[in-house]
Amino acid sequence: MLSLPALLICIGILVPFVTAIYYSLQRYRLSQPWAREMNWGQNYLNFMTDPGFWNTLSVSMQYAFYTVALELLLGLGIALLLQRRTRTNNFISIMLLMPLMTAPALAALMWKLMTNPGFGVLSYLLTLVGIEDFRWGSAPGSAMFTVVLVDIWVYTPFIMILLLAGLRSLPKQPFEAAALDGVPRFQQFYRITLPMLTPYILTATLFRLLESIQQFDIIYAMTQGGPGDRLTVFQVEAYLNYFQSTNVGRSAALLMILWAITFFISNIFIKNWLRLRERARGEI
Amino acid sequence: MTTVEVSNISKRYGADQVLNDVSLSVASGETLVLFGPSGAGKTVLLRVLSGLVQNDSGAVFIDGQDMCDVEAEHRGIGMAFQNFALFPHMSAFANIASPLDARRDSPEAIKTGVHTVASLLKIDHVLEHAPKALSNGQKQRTALARALVGSPPLLLLDDPLRNVDAKLRFEMRLELPRLLANQGATVIYVTQDYKEAMALGDRIAVLAAGQLVQLGTPADIYLKPANLNIARLFGDPVINVFDVSGRRDEQGVYIELSSVRLRLDESMAACVDKDCVLGIRPESIQFCGSDTAGAIPILIETETPLNEKTVTLALTTGKREILISRPSSTTAPDSGQSHIVINADKALLFDKHSGQRIAADHCV
Amino acid sequence: MEHTGTLERILRAVALTLVVVFFMFPILWIFLMSFQTNETILRVPPSMVFEPTLANYKALITGKLETNAASIEINFLRNLWNSVFLSVTSVSLALLLGVPAAYAFARHKFKGSEDIAFTLLSFKFAPPLLVLLPLSLYFQKMGLADTYIGLIWVYQLICLPLILWIVRGYFEDISPDIEYAYRIAGHSWFATFRKIALPLAGPGIAAAGLLAFIFAWNNFIFALVLASADKQPVTVGALAFVTASGIQYGQIAAAVVMSITPTLALALYAQRYLVEGLSLGAVKG
Repeated sequence: MLSLPALLICIGILVPFVTAIYYSLQRYRLSQPWAREMNWGQNYLNFMTDPGFWNTLSVSMQYAFYTVALELLLGLGIALLLQRRTRTNNFISIMLLMPLMTAPALAALMWKLMTNPGFGVLSYLLTLVGIEDFRWGSAPGSAMFTVVLVDIWVYTPFIMILLLAGLRSLPKQPFEAAALDGVPRFQQFYRITLPMLTPYILTATLFRLLESIQQFDIIYAMTQGGPGDRLTVFQVEAYLNYFQSTNVGRSAALLMILWAITFFISNIFIKNWLRLRERARGEI
Repeated sequence: MTTVEVSNISKRYGADQVLNDVSLSVASGETLVLFGPSGAGKTVLLRVLSGLVQNDSGAVFIDGQDMCDVEAEHRGIGMAFQNFALFPHMSAFANIASPLDARRDSPEAIKTGVHTVASLLKIDHVLEHAPKALSNGQKQRTALARALVGSPPLLLLDDPLRNVDAKLRFEMRLELPRLLANQGATVIYVTQDYKEAMALGDRIAVLAAGQLVQLGTPADIYLKPANLNIARLFGDPVINVFDVSGRRDEQGVYIELSSVRLRLDESMAACVDKDCVLGIRPESIQFCGSDTAGAIPILIETETPLNEKTVTLALTTGKREILISRPSSTTAPDSGQSHIVINADKALLFDKHSGQRIAADHCV
Repeated sequence: MEHTGTLERILRAVALTLVVVFFMFPILWIFLMSFQTNETILRVPPSMVFEPTLANYKALITGKLETNAASIEINFLRNLWNSVFLSVTSVSLALLLGVPAAYAFARHKFKGSEDIAFTLLSFKFAPPLLVLLPLSLYFQKMGLADTYIGLIWVYQLICLPLILWIVRGYFEDISPDIEYAYRIAGHSWFATFRKIALPLAGPGIAAAGLLAFIFAWNNFIFALVLASADKQPVTVGALAFVTASGIQYGQIAAAVVMSITPTLALALYAQRYLVEGLSLGAVKG
């Protein structure tokens, strides 16, 4: 029973993974198959002096930081607003599932239609507040803002759902005790709610962080990494390297570095998760 | 009718030796109680018997047949679980019917079978309910009905009264022996409650830390416990224990308690000049006047009436606590100073270091 | 909690309204746009008042898209069918393989089973392209490039770990005694799995299947790398509209609406399962 899925996953993931390591150690361009040879760590060494690589690393980090930080703040805020189980709140929390269920690539397309400088409704709204000719995804200054906005639209509900589930599962007694002691509401939030919610926040953060640093769909569908190299995050850069400049070696090396980063983050996550599970089992 | 033979069963989970070389046999039609504190290995032993847990070594024989390669569903067993283990998505009827279902009885036969056992257990009015709509008592009866319905020759009952309230437990303790006798099955019954063990068992097997420490009739175990732990586990209020050491003078063996000499039978000579523990059951102590031979002065602290008996907590002159149990019908002793006399025939002596009982058969 | 001031209540209401507007407006706007002609879309200022037309949907269904210059043939229904076919087949296969495996993981704790489960989980976090790019070269050699079989295989990489992980949790929550009781009653190992474990884990399997379906439907990168136009699902297909020059915006909007409606409808229909699956997928694993 175990063997079949395990085998599938082995073939499906391990073989390509090892192959990717192998490619990353080669000089390998699809357009120049005759020049293919092992160059060992040369692809990685080249990164040191490659401004393109540092740009990729930098925009990936920026993207991950902005999206996760803003989504966390917004998600927590919305979860707190919806905490009480009223019919309106439940209805709103169900409605908020919709962006999350929209394919990110299609979400980007929707926003593209709304931010079209010619007829986009958002561009028009900006002219009302005196911002003329805001070029959204196609201007270097606002491209990052635009894709981060789409990411927030799609993924904030994810964090909101997790934190809402967390908030609603908190035990009532500490709050009743604090209310009896006359602890002000906002202190209750810092002293009781936030610490008790921390496991949920950590889980949500790390989950989003892993996805965000690998984001491809939204950025590719919105700007294909442009304008210029403004949004060439890891996976977009690797994709362009592979399909446009057919540089398999560099593309594989880029992805290996991305994998190392996610492995590092997911290790933190798994340790944290294990602790959480033990705590949960202990209490129940 | 079925015999069960357990020979040299051992089982470990990681570093945990849950069963250590356990051997016992159960006669056809007998009810054997597996008794012991939690973690003693009772449930694991039951599961080894049923084939749900694989033993590391040793063998199980049912009716003389080695069960090594026989799957759980083919061992012809009825089993009731501590937590009832009802199928939550099936009605009580379907729950009870499942053993009949498995052997492909006709629908009519299933209906008759289920209704017969259900009326026996007084749950025929809730057969259409889902388990979560049943009270704890009804759940427990449903679980029992499921174990009984196929008239299995061997019944394994894993502490079935553990999770029901005290009143129900009392009722069932009276009802179960009759029910089990009518079944005519060989029964192995796990419990942590000594009263249940005494009430239900033809014999009791006491397990501790994965080992079989004593196997005998309820009377044997109560009167001649193999060690101090067993003496403590059986009996309510618990047995009084005092550190003593055996002495011998020209009149024979004795021990000293509050400077009163308690004469012992010569058969307990092994205790002489040894650190021992004296165990006296609260009902083996009587109140008496100060002039009675061997009277020990005590100071009465509290009296607790427990229905048919009354338990007195008193202090000896050495400030040691002692519990005395007397039938509630007898007159209460005066409060404050009083005297007691100990029935030396019923005194139990244990080796302080090993905890083993010192008895006639232990020394020659 | 009882004494919430009037000011606070107003602030809360305003905040909630802003939230609802931000998250709902794009969907509403695109929905409206899909019923408009280019003429009304390009109006300045934009307006919610217009004469609705079904022309955009008609064009998509007949496959003859109007551009500013002429009409071109794009078989969008083919994309829609690909999405349905790929998602349904992938999830079915993943359930078929994943549910028994999840059961094995939950019930048979052997040395290292926890490690294997974690390894599977961490694959969920591997960059998709890391696997896809070498795989696309292998697929070319094996003749699997641009085939449904190849795509369904790759879709297992998202569906299987998800199903394994969520369903395993549900199986673990079933008391083993319930299964033991069924076996003791005289049923085989397989009957116990079918009659006890499967129905009791039913909600979990539904939640996992639903999530897997939505993830499969929403996937973009797999087909972008591995499939050509006639095998592409809606996510990739709709994007091609933008690059094809001059397709009318109303038609793009209609394509988006048709592409997101199935998942949104599913999500609303089964939101309870979904929330449970999402929370479980994240918190439990």
